[in-house]
Amino acid sequence: MDNGQGFVQRNYFLLRRLHSLTGVIPIGAFMLIHLTTNSSILWGALNGRAHAETAIGRGVETFQDEVSFINGMPLLLLIEILVLWLPIAFHAVFGVAFALTASNNVAQYGYWGNKRYILQRLSGYLGFAFILYHVATLRWGWEWLTPAGTAWSHYFATSTLAAALKGDGGQWTVPGIIVSIGYFIGVSALVFHFANGLLTASITWGIAVSQEARQRWGYMCTALGAVVMLLAWSALAGFVFLVDHDEALQIERRMVELKYGREFLEEIEQEHLNRPEMEASAIRRAAEAPYPGPAPVIHE
Amino acid sequence: MSNTAKGGVKARNVIFRIKRCEGPGKPSRWEAFKVPVEPNANVISCLNWIAANPVTIDGKQTTPVVWDSNCLEEVCGACTMLINGRVRQSCSCLIDAYAPNEGDTITLEPMSKFPVVRDLWVDRQRLFWGLKKVKAWVPIDGTYSLGEGPRETPEHQHDRYIMSTCMSCACCLEACPQYHKEDDQNKWDRSYVGAAVVNQARLFNEHGTGQVLKPERLDALMGPGGLDACGKSENCVKVCPKHIPLVESIAAVNRALTIHGFKRVFSGQ
Amino acid sequence: MSTSQRVIIVGGGLAGLAASVRIAEAGVPVDLFSMVPVKRSHSVCAQGGINACNEVARQQGYSEYQHFDETIYGGDFLADQGPVLEMCNWAPKIINLLDRMGVPFNRTSEGRHDLRLFGGSLFKRTHFSGATTGQQLLYALDEQTRRYESEGKISKYEFWEFLAPIIVGEGAERRCVGIVAQDMRTMQIRSFRGDAVVMATGGCGLIFGKSTNSVICTGGAASRCYQAGAWYANGEMIQVHPTAIPGADKCRLMSESARGEGGRVWVPRQKGDKRAARQIPDSERWYFLEEKYPAYGNLVPRDIATREIFDVCVNMGMGIDGGNMVYLDLTHKDPEYLTEKLGGIMEIYEKFVGVDPRHEPMKIFPSVHYSMGGMWTTFTPGSYQPSQPAGGHKSGSKPPIGTEVGVGMTFGAANNMMTNIRGLYAFGEVNFAYHGATRLGANALLSCIFDGLYNGVSVVNYIQQDVPSQHPAEKMKAEVFEAGVACERAKVDRLLGTVDKGSGDPAFNPYVIAREMGDEMTAASTVVKTGPRLQQCLSKLGELKERYRQVRLGDAAGWTNQTLSFTRAVGDMLILAEVIARCGLLREESRGSHKRLDFPERDDARFLKTSVAEFVPGTGEPRIFWRDVQTSLVKLRARTYGKVESGEGRKQPEAAASAS
Repeated sequence: MDNGQGFVQRNYFLLRRLHSLTGVIPIGAFMLIHLTTNSSILWGALNGRAHAETAIGRGVETFQDEVSFINGMPLLLLIEILVLWLPIAFHAVFGVAFALTASNNVAQYGYWGNKRYILQRLSGYLGFAFILYHVATLRWGWEWLTPAGTAWSHYFATSTLAAALKGDGGQWTVPGIIVSIGYFIGVSALVFHFANGLLTASITWGIAVSQEARQRWGYMCTALGAVVMLLAWSALAGFVFLVDHDEALQIERRMVELKYGREFLEEIEQEHLNRPEMEASAIRRAAEAPYPGPAPVIHE
Repeated sequence: MSNTAKGGVKARNVIFRIKRCEGPGKPSRWEAFKVPVEPNANVISCLNWIAANPVTIDGKQTTPVVWDSNCLEEVCGACTMLINGRVRQSCSCLIDAYAPNEGDTITLEPMSKFPVVRDLWVDRQRLFWGLKKVKAWVPIDGTYSLGEGPRETPEHQHDRYIMSTCMSCACCLEACPQYHKEDDQNKWDRSYVGAAVVNQARLFNEHGTGQVLKPERLDALMGPGGLDACGKSENCVKVCPKHIPLVESIAAVNRALTIHGFKRVFSGQ
Repeated sequence: MSTSQRVIIVGGGLAGLAASVRIAEAGVPVDLFSMVPVKRSHSVCAQGGINACNEVARQQGYSEYQHFDETIYGGDFLADQGPVLEMCNWAPKIINLLDRMGVPFNRTSEGRHDLRLFGGSLFKRTHFSGATTGQQLLYALDEQTRRYESEGKISKYEFWEFLAPIIVGEGAERRCVGIVAQDMRTMQIRSFRGDAVVMATGGCGLIFGKSTNSVICTGGAASRCYQAGAWYANGEMIQVHPTAIPGADKCRLMSESARGEGGRVWVPRQKGDKRAARQIPDSERWYFLEEKYPAYGNLVPRDIATREIFDVCVNMGMGIDGGNMVYLDLTHKDPEYLTEKLGGIMEIYEKFVGVDPRHEPMKIFPSVHYSMGGMWTTFTPGSYQPSQPAGGHKSGSKPPIGTEVGVGMTFGAANNMMTNIRGLYAFGEVNFAYHGATRLGANALLSCIFDGLYNGVSVVNYIQQDVPSQHPAEKMKAEVFEAGVACERAKVDRLLGTVDKGSGDPAFNPYVIAREMGDEMTAASTVVKTGPRLQQCLSKLGELKERYRQVRLGDAAGWTNQTLSFTRAVGDMLILAEVIARCGLLREESRGSHKRLDFPERDDARFLKTSVAEFVPGTGEPRIFWRDVQTSLVKLRARTYGKVESGEGRKQPEAAASAS
């Protein structure tokens, strides 16, 4: 049995199950957390601990608070590698290899199941490309790929994100429109991939066997997918359409100041002054603005 | 005894475009035939007509079309082919439904996932080979008189009966995007067995005596060519002419595999 | 015993597979030949069920013996009685075996076998698996065959066509030692050695053109054995099933189980009534079977139901819209019940007619279905040899004989179901043994499996204890096998030499000849026959044979040439058709399925005999002689099924059901 067969052949069953598993845990679970965090830009308005006057301001506060919490976690890089990069890499590489075994026939057999089968593969490709872009630009600092070369900073989570999505200083630019649409497609693909993957996992693992059980499972996955899709879209809409870049920056500055002190704030602002034109000028403007006093913002 | 008169059916001609091939390794070509349609005609009766009048639409004399068939009532599975691009039995394909008007065209092709023997006839040996692979039988102690078999509830019988109506027609394999043509018999062992075979494994796992071989069946489906090749397009269940819940069978065997896999891990095999 | 002895089985339906399994199990290697993958054999088409007395039936007064009595009575006393007794006695064992093999028989709420009512009986004694019982039984045997195949005990030759038996010796010493067969794909012709050859090649429905049979049921294999010297018996006994749906390519069976589950046959009382079926009130429907046969109602044997339908449609012109159709009505039953019990045929009707029979009465007409006649076989009688044949059996009374093995036919006797050529056996529909002049519904599956299981042992005993043990086929000279191959090769070359590259004269087109044969045989030799019409049929067959001598093929291919295979079969079918028509002409009486309008009564004095046809090589014509029937177990009696003359019929549609 072992002769002449590679490791993958011999362990194909295990690898396929692992592939299915990694899609849900940790990747799917992480995506849920991540989108919950991101959508705090909207639901933060209801956060009782946030004090900004505008609803979106409270969102900015909440989002910044979440981001800071994550960035304050110990051994973050190790966690990222073990829980995210490796599972995603495995899921993607194995997934692509598996997807290449398909001979698509949706033209002849246009059933919904078959369409989902195609979409699952397409969304996998798209989603993986999106993740690479997303991580490269916002985590690895490949700012040359962002609309205006903005580097995302976890100290100015909302304002730099808005800039990375739309353009320098959170103003719309043509590349920004493309990137935002790309985000829309990317997150939609990932959410579909997740929900549909969860749906078919019922077959892969035999969780739901009978037609009725699979149908019920299907409703659950559809509902979950719809909720997650709403989270994803609302987060994106929040950052793209609702955030006032300068207001966000002010709130973020105050939070940094309260947490780390004025000196630290100035230090990182200096760093950012070397950044693209609009961004730097925004920071300059913000720094030169009359100090609003220690407004109540979230800080530990 | 062949009173077939059925009111309201228009006498008309239907064009058959047929993909033809002289044999394995030979190139294929298309031929068209103009066939007068009888009342209650099906694809078989039209192919019969062509066999007796093998002249193409251009007036060229050709050979009768070769195709596989037997029962003609959709219970033996032989006459499966691609009709207008989709797999189905040709006996149950009524012309009135497919070509209601004068000059309508019906396309016939051999199944694409199996080696062509000639014209519309393909070799589906691999499917029967798969049934051996999963030991799709009850290992009885011979044909001696040994009393009744295991009792079962009507519900259980009902479930098994539906699974047992599989006529090995291979529609589910043809429509499966994960099932590929494999001419080399030596590679069958590593190529996906397909829904029909998985369903038979489940059928015998469900039988009181047949379940004795369950571990062996699951081992076969856990290895190369096993169930992990399934891509969940769920086409199988859609094209199954017998409405066998094939996805249910796949899920059920997967559940058994999940448990079997854990058992194997923890029993150290 | 030689360790290299082998058995050849031709045909992979129920009989062939049962025999294969039984013989392989005895340690004898089996070579199994079939024109189709065995899982696609014609047995899949059997729908209704398989008869066997079970405990429930027994406690209601039924018995194996009554099953036997019914079968003999149903067959109008033309069957040799010993084998039938043995078969009915064995039936419960067969059910148990199939049950163990995993056949999903329908169950009662307690998980036991459900039973349904079937033609020719007042007792529920038919085991069934939905309405695709034949399919389920075949699959069970197919699976066991596959199991032995994977153990190397059975070698399958699928898509191989049997061409001829190889026979050595002369006269009574003739012995079959192998076969010539052709690979239907590569067209290779070769011989195979076998110490015994079991023919299990089924019926010959295609001789009648459109029938309920599958496309391989040409009777070609039986005809080839007949031409090699095997006798053909009771060929005129062809069953026409009362309920089929006529189609353009074939007639599709609507199982007798439809009536067993309560289906009612009727036509509008008003001739030419144009209303839709559902608009005709009950009082204006003529349930003619129930009226004429108060006891059995719609479940009279098939030949009777067929003739009544034929009479209503053809003679009285009372068919639906004046055509040849009557209603088979199940719409009074619960649709879910119908799906559960009859799903298979409900679906066939829906798919091929486009109407849901749960809500609309089906339109049906008789169609050729089964050949009771077939290759002549012999047997060794069993231990039950009463001084006087028993009278008609009354239900509930004690059977005159028990169910011990071997009372009707000696178990393991080498000649059981052997033809007049030693070592050449015929099992299942291809023999003539069990059904006399009419087969009762749900007895066919039984006789096929019984042959394979019970008489498979005879084959093993024959090769191990009889001539083959001294002179195994393996040791025979090669010449005889080579000669067989050369002969078949020559036939093929002659046919391929006729390939018509011109316009194709329909007179010599094999498909046209086959169609004309089918039409003629259906018209002259099915439901009702007359001497003059059969004479006319014989001269038509003569004309067709003459045309066949000049037949032109449309395909010269040396690869997968179906035209060649078909054309060769047409020649053999014509020869068999002549036997059927000739025996029908000579049997100047009416018995079971054989209804002669010019001889309307049963004539036991002259014709309580088996018609036997022997091929005369010089002329190609049959020599027909008559052999006595074994009637020592059950006394002859009139076969009326309690028919009442018109006018005095009482309406008892549920009489049959309540009797059980």
